[in-house]
Amino acid sequence: MEILRITRDAWGQETLEGMSWDLLPVAFGLGIAIIIGHLVWRALRKRRSAPPPAP
Amino acid sequence: MSPDPNLITRHAPVDRVFHWITALAVLLLLASAFLPILGLKFSWLPLHWITGVVLGAATLFHLVRATFFQRLRCMVPRPRDFSDLKNGRRAAKYTLAQKLMHAVLGTAILVAVVTGFIMLAKVDTPLWQRNPYLLDASTWGVVYVLHGAAALLTLTLTMAHVYFSLLPEKRGYLRAMIGGQMTRDEAAVYHDPQRWSGQRKDDPRENHR
Repeated sequence: MEILRITRDAWGQETLEGMSWDLLPVAFGLGIAIIIGHLVWRALRKRRSAPPPAP
Repeated sequence: MSPDPNLITRHAPVDRVFHWITALAVLLLLASAFLPILGLKFSWLPLHWITGVVLGAATLFHLVRATFFQRLRCMVPRPRDFSDLKNGRRAAKYTLAQKLMHAVLGTAILVAVVTGFIMLAKVDTPLWQRNPYLLDASTWGVVYVLHGAAALLTLTLTMAHVYFSLLPEKRGYLRAMIGGQMTRDEAAVYHDPQRWSGQRKDDPRENHR
């Protein structure tokens, strides 16, 4: 996976074109990972802090 | 009619208008930047640069207002915030998570705005003619990389920001960003009433520490 977009100009010189758009699904996936990670952490925390069942 | 004593003001109307203009601008900018890359072809450039100028104006307004008319230090993450979190102490007006989100997302948007304004030199508009030779090719490359990196980070953090705002236990913050107010009980879950009780900054009882 490329991080940067690099092209060659008319004289064969490398030119920086910007960030690679291969990173777009990575940025989106990271957003989803944060959401899922927090949902899991939240559920575990809730379960840990729940009062023990009544005898 | 007297105000409800159980409600406290969290955001002034001007700050809420700023927030929602910024939110709409960021969503339009992300859509006009990334949808064409995903294959949805439309004339994205006019929408993108005009919305970028709106976001730039909103950002400038916020910088001036936060620096000269609000308490800048109540939004800056400080060592005390980390020790408060560690020791289970409640926050003042903003929690550490809110401060960190603001710092990172704000920086990403600022970088996108500054580089975007430089990139306006490559766009013909009714106000100016394009000048692609303003910078040399390698410097343009750096500007594009910074703009793209800021946009990608903004995408990730916007997703997280929207998710957190919709959580049931954080719904008070969303209501405060819409109507300006939250209940004292909602605020007391995360905020120490001794350190932030919803009064204005010119109230001597308010310390925002």
